Amino acid sequence: MFSFQLFSQLLVSGIVIGSSYALLSVSFGVIYATTRIFHFAHAIAYTVASYASVTALAKAGLPLWLALMVGLVVAVALGILIELAAYRPMRRRGASTLALFLTSLGLTIAGSNLIQIVFGPENKPLPGFPMKTFAVGAVTFTNLHLLTVIVSWVCIFGVVVFLKKTKYGKATRAAQSNQQMAMAVGIEMDGVSLLVFMLGSVLVGVSALLFTLGGVASPNMGLSPILIGFIGVFLGDRERFRRSARRLRARSGYLVVRSVAEW
Amino acid sequence: MDYLADVGITILIYIILGVSLNLLLGYAGQVSMAHAVFYGIGAYTAGLLTLPVLEAAEGAAARGVTSGLGWNWLPALLIAVAVPLVFAFIIAIPAVVSVTGEYLILLTLAFQVVVNQLMNSLTTVTGGPYGLTPIPPFSLFGHELSSPPQALGFFVVAALLAVFVTWRIGESPFGRLLKGIREDEIAVRALGKNTLIVKVTVFGVAAAIAGMAGALASYYYQFIAPGNYSLDLSIFVVAVVVLGGAGNLIGTILGAIVLGSLTPLLQNIAWIGSSNSIPWQGVIYGVGLVIIMRFRPQGILPEGLSPRWFKHAARSASAELTGAAPGSWSLGVDYPDSAETCASGDEGDEGEDVVRISGLARNFGGLRAVDGVDMALRRGRITALIGPNGAGKTTIFNMVTGELKPDSGQVWFRGTDVVGEKPHKLARFGIVRSFQDVRVFQQLSALENVAMAVPGQPGENLVRLGLQPRRTRRAERETRAKAHAYLDFVGMSEKADELVVNLSFGEQKLVAIARLLATEGDVLLLDEPTSGIDANSVNQVIDLILRLCRFGKTVCIVEHSVHVVDKLADHVYFLDHGAVIEEGTMKDLTSRPHLVEVYFGT
Repeated sequence: MFSFQLFSQLLVSGIVIGSSYALLSVSFGVIYATTRIFHFAHAIAYTVASYASVTALAKAGLPLWLALMVGLVVAVALGILIELAAYRPMRRRGASTLALFLTSLGLTIAGSNLIQIVFGPENKPLPGFPMKTFAVGAVTFTNLHLLTVIVSWVCIFGVVVFLKKTKYGKATRAAQSNQQMAMAVGIEMDGVSLLVFMLGSVLVGVSALLFTLGGVASPNMGLSPILIGFIGVFLGDRERFRRSARRLRARSGYLVVRSVAEW
Repeated sequence: MDYLADVGITILIYIILGVSLNLLLGYAGQVSMAHAVFYGIGAYTAGLLTLPVLEAAEGAAARGVTSGLGWNWLPALLIAVAVPLVFAFIIAIPAVVSVTGEYLILLTLAFQVVVNQLMNSLTTVTGGPYGLTPIPPFSLFGHELSSPPQALGFFVVAALLAVFVTWRIGESPFGRLLKGIREDEIAVRALGKNTLIVKVTVFGVAAAIAGMAGALASYYYQFIAPGNYSLDLSIFVVAVVVLGGAGNLIGTILGAIVLGSLTPLLQNIAWIGSSNSIPWQGVIYGVGLVIIMRFRPQGILPEGLSPRWFKHAARSASAELTGAAPGSWSLGVDYPDSAETCASGDEGDEGEDVVRISGLARNFGGLRAVDGVDMALRRGRITALIGPNGAGKTTIFNMVTGELKPDSGQVWFRGTDVVGEKPHKLARFGIVRSFQDVRVFQQLSALENVAMAVPGQPGENLVRLGLQPRRTRRAERETRAKAHAYLDFVGMSEKADELVVNLSFGEQKLVAIARLLATEGDVLLLDEPTSGIDANSVNQVIDLILRLCRFGKTVCIVEHSVHVVDKLADHVYFLDHGAVIEEGTMKDLTSRPHLVEVYFGT
């Protein structure tokens, strides 16, 4: 039985979920496309962003917006730390993709268990978001949903513009399409890698915080969104989405599929 | 006593899971993140088969208990080995078609998560989050054996079996193929081996062994729940293999013992307490993984390294195999000792056209890499393809050997069009190639490199390996003797047991030629056989090629050195921008002024 009301409600929630998935995919994708690292530990950046905000709010008593900033800063710091302390020395030694992936896996396991030891296995909320519900016809949604969609796509378009227009973005794209050639023309791979780790970590932090505002933080929260991010990237473009325009088109396609699947 | 036996059983389960995953991860270099799920599929299969049959009146659903078939544990075990095998085939077939490692990680990861989720949600079959219970324990002759010390025996037997089977497979010709695939799959295919079948098989074997462990564990714990088969366990098993040393079974056993004793040890440390012992175990092996990858990526016991007593056993086993080797087997053919030119023999007695190419074309995007090429490779004659970089020479090789599909045109081999055949098929027909970048298997010995190329080895088939152990062992002795003979032919017999990675580039090229010859192919396509090696080795390679051609092989070389082409080639094709511009003898070509200008120089 076809119910228009149900369909539109599912379409709306599909768009909300799809947008956050798209953001996750892009956050993983910028790192993967440039460094070829299957950055599993992205899940920890996601989890850590949430926990940092929760702690800043509950323990340090910061206002919500500042707590969210703390979450983003911590996520970026972790991304930089992982790149500098773990991946870069290994890359210098010519480590294989598999070795890098296993390192990432080890970081994820150690990280999520450490969070459980420090914060306990129970869920932690991030309260204080002024939640409002809207109704348009029979379809209801919250201002957080709206925020999620807007922020996600603003971030995604921001990344695209950054990659296309700025000097650093162009260097990143050059490194994505041909690393050796990019190095030959004077682009420093180390710098580009650091840049994409920062970029990816900010995006994953945004995604984590949007989620936690309406949900809770838990030690293993990073796993399933990251899996979705991985799958999004691989589905997104068979040629490993070298071109951002194509990536974007694929994302929108994915979004539609996702909303249909929800329904 | 019970406690120790219980810890022992846990470790033995890790050993079984570890050695089976090592076959996949360490030997074949294929990452599987789904090992826990195969273990789980075995457990659920065994559980569903052995659970007692419930009367409909009792209302299985009403009590929330799933009804089983009431089988005995032993036949159920056999089915529990077979079912994961089938699942593995289903997942492996799409996985192995694509060769990229990341894709495989993703696919197995998705399989792990989805199946684990299904275990939770298919409540009518799996009992949902509460799982299946009570599964009947082990029994022998009507006696139930449910205490840990009683069950321990079954696990010891199973672990010994698993280690034996994986060791036997790993050290067989099949295992050699696995290592070859790990090192360079394209090169294995070019030797005429069907790597797809090998990869699918090894997936199946690894899953079947994990399924066995799952069934036994279900009899012991008498309880199955989805949480036991989560991604955490898959990652844990990967850590066991990697920490111990990928490609080394003793290392895996060591890894299982070390990581398996972590939880019981941590539980007994007062300040951690039993509730935090599992997270601490995660932290420790996670950090361990990072440290090992950073400082000792080959693991605690690297491949090929083993404790003394084991090494002794291995050496005596291989001595038995190689004892009769060098010189005991002749190539069975008389390659001429040396030759000045190949076709110098009888003028006019031209051999047949073994390979004929007509209208071959291929585009890469907008670039016409090869644009309607016609050429013929004649038996007993050395054909050379020359021309500037990017003229399409290697692309032609790639199309003739099936590595690349032409957009149009035909490749005739002894009168049949072979376009569209798979690379390993063409290699078996006798069209074999060497690579510009050599592509020898770096982490294998020179002998293993050559032995892998020997066609028709029964030990590459797991069924025959299991059913005809003596025949396969005899065949392996012969293979090794042949490999020795080929190495001797190229003058490399003294370096037979060296790992290829330790050889010089020139020596690696010689090993590559021996490997090529061992395929027994008739048409040899040599891509820059003398590039990057010193003058002495160049002469050695020239001499070898001449002798091969004299013997009757059809030889085609791609070469930039005018000196080498001049010495070798009877017929030369000059290519530019994907088309044949001129052909003839080297003398003809060097007398054409426009070619001198653009290519040969003055």
